[in-house]
Amino acid sequence: MSVFITPAMIGQVVISGLLAGALYAMVALGLGLIFGVMRVLNVAHGPILMLGAYVTFWLFSTVGLNPYLSLLVSMPLLFVLGVLLQRFLVRRVVDAPELSSLLLTFGISIAMVNVAQLAFTSDLRAVEFLTGSFVLGPFAFSKSRVVACAFAVAITAGAFLFLQRTRLGKAIRAVSQSREVAQVCGVNVQRIHLLAFGMASALAAAGGSLVAVMVAIQPEMGGIYTFKSFLVIVLGGAGNYPGALLGGLLLGLVEQLSSLFLTTQVNEAVAYVLLVVVLLVRPTGLLGGRTS
Amino acid sequence: MRRWVPALLAAAVAGLALYPLVATGYGVRMMLQLFMWVALAQSWNLISGLTGYVSFGHVAFFGTGSYATAILIASLDWPWPVAALAGGVAAMVLALLIGWPCLRLKGPYFAIAMLGLNEALRVAASYFEGLTGGGLGLSLPTLHASVEIYYVMGLVAALVTAATYVIVTSRFGLRLMTIREDEVAAEAMGIDTFRYKLYAFLLSAAGPGIVGGLSARDQGYIEPISVFPLIMTITMIVMVLFGGKGTIWGPVLGAVMLFTLQELVWATFIYLHQLLFGAIIVAVVLAMPRGILGVLQQKYNLPRTI
Amino acid sequence: MPPLLEVKNVTKRFGGVTAVNRVSLALEPGRIYGLIGPNGSGKTTLFNCITGIDPPDAGAIRFRQGRIDRLEPHKIFHRGIGRTFQIIRVFPELTALENLLVVTTGDYGQAQARAAELLRLVKLERLAGEYAGNLSYGQQKLVEFIRVLMTDPELILLDEPAAGVNRTLLNELLDAVRALRDRGKTIFLVEHDMKVVMGLCETVFVLDHGEKLAEGPPGVIQADERVIEAYFGR
Repeated sequence: MSVFITPAMIGQVVISGLLAGALYAMVALGLGLIFGVMRVLNVAHGPILMLGAYVTFWLFSTVGLNPYLSLLVSMPLLFVLGVLLQRFLVRRVVDAPELSSLLLTFGISIAMVNVAQLAFTSDLRAVEFLTGSFVLGPFAFSKSRVVACAFAVAITAGAFLFLQRTRLGKAIRAVSQSREVAQVCGVNVQRIHLLAFGMASALAAAGGSLVAVMVAIQPEMGGIYTFKSFLVIVLGGAGNYPGALLGGLLLGLVEQLSSLFLTTQVNEAVAYVLLVVVLLVRPTGLLGGRTS
Repeated sequence: MRRWVPALLAAAVAGLALYPLVATGYGVRMMLQLFMWVALAQSWNLISGLTGYVSFGHVAFFGTGSYATAILIASLDWPWPVAALAGGVAAMVLALLIGWPCLRLKGPYFAIAMLGLNEALRVAASYFEGLTGGGLGLSLPTLHASVEIYYVMGLVAALVTAATYVIVTSRFGLRLMTIREDEVAAEAMGIDTFRYKLYAFLLSAAGPGIVGGLSARDQGYIEPISVFPLIMTITMIVMVLFGGKGTIWGPVLGAVMLFTLQELVWATFIYLHQLLFGAIIVAVVLAMPRGILGVLQQKYNLPRTI
Repeated sequence: MPPLLEVKNVTKRFGGVTAVNRVSLALEPGRIYGLIGPNGSGKTTLFNCITGIDPPDAGAIRFRQGRIDRLEPHKIFHRGIGRTFQIIRVFPELTALENLLVVTTGDYGQAQARAAELLRLVKLERLAGEYAGNLSYGQQKLVEFIRVLMTDPELILLDEPAAGVNRTLLNELLDAVRALRDRGKTIFLVEHDMKVVMGLCETVFVLDHGEKLAEGPPGVIQADERVIEAYFGR
């Protein structure tokens, strides 16, 4: 580990952080949607991402489909799965104490991981697609990271446009603020719940498809993304959708910066420490959100 | 009904006490494991069943107890019962360190924090290689003490159950339950919820710490993956949910039933373990969130001391 | 004699909404006060500020000359302020008796005696062992009321005590409130039922859109044009 940290290193790390952060933001937005709309903490979010990664892997290894094209498959497929999960399972606990939905999604998540283990085995899989780096002066960025970031930005932008401009999107935001008021204004809250869960799953799937090119794919890969998505939501503020963006970027930055000073093993604990610190200091998130 | 319950209990205790005299080594180790699960489930119930604060990382205390005990035996030659107790203390110290910041949070946020705890600990265990033997594990000098460990494990299980009884019937226990019922109202009614959550959390860590130490001694060898497995937390949760969280005998019932099923039936379906547990959790949460004893309690208006 | 409770320029915001805006009031000991105002005027929020559930963003709250606005709710409770809630918050899986016992700190035996006494006072002694969640609305309301009395607080905040309660029970509650005042306690209640407010309170504060609109004896308030406009005008 070099003792001298050059400006170039800092620059490299900052941009790497932003690249990673965009991906975190997109995935976390999904989790945030479920929490904002239904007050449900979806522990199964990571496993859904994992399924998205496997979809990409299998399409790539069987028919050689470009991983980035497989987004067109993984996102709709897992959108449907999300809708089904909500319709048949999660819906029953939306009004129950938060503990119930937490345990329910926890149960779903461990079942999903096990199903993946049975179907795909625990062998590490990889998608060898876009290797090498873009070199720009003193900086070098792995191509897959850059492309993933580009897609993440595009998809997230699309999600935000949907939330801001379309009627359904506004309905989602209305239900996030107050379910009763939205109902009184004629919003079909059940349908919004289905839509939110589906959308969230699609976002997770997109995350999975994009990281499939970058990391080892195995059934338990999702857990860390669930946790990091929670962290992003906490950073940005629960129910604060733009906050999720900032939170994601911040997490990416903090992770990359700490890699300058800490070994990679301890690096993983950084996210955890960050969570505890933020929850203690400013539980409503850096941008403010609801605590209740 | 009241009259034959103590007699039944006495008979069960006598039977369990005499069991090692007639059983095989395998049988003793199996029952020893059952006691361990009872202690674990009962301890998880203390924090999650009574206060409603779900601890997803409870295996951290088991692992900590295992490592602390193993290190004390291997490096400092401590006798294993004392080392196991020290394991319990180590687990309580960890609980204090984690609980102090995390229990100030409201329920769901606490759960999130605990979800990340496992990851952090597994990393830490590998990191401090010199001390713990890193990813390679730690070996203990050979010792055949399964029968003694059986008795101590049984004692721990009994103590935790007894402690649960005492807590549930006391004002302390009532206060813990108000946290579950309505934390805001509890605060407004003068209950320092943070303090009570912390007490419950500390108490819930002692059991796993001690049995972790005992288990380490019994196995003779530990490594990070074996003492911080997620499946252990999952199993604790399933046992308590199934039997009845917040009750006294629910965790015992859940532990006995699921452990038996595990040994008899699921040993053959080893790869379906997690899936089955996940399915049970889903089914219990949807169909009988209060567990078997909870449902019976409600239906027949049984006292809380069930 | 200094006021028992002093609220000075208290402001509370939730995101973009200012629920309570620079509200000031003072309560003298041994009197019954009312807090009225249209829905959403900030009444319960003000209660939450006083009891520490929603700490104010600005301003100060003093109880017996000591600042309480930065304290945690359980500490405020032990200073001598008790409250009931707009939506009943008994502990449903505790029995009526346990609901009462759980708030006490001293001698358990004494607490049990006091709990039994209060249950008898409101004629609920035969339901002492019943889970509070199984009681009727009116019974739960009574349990919540006597729960507040268990530790003998100096100041009692009642949030809509008359809501959903039949006439007989209401009269019993009002008699109990008057009896408390006669013993030197101070009661501050939020209420929509004007008859209750006018018949019970000695001084009434009016909130509208988070601001204090008026303050005075019930008769004066009733005739105040601004108050009438706040309720019916807009």
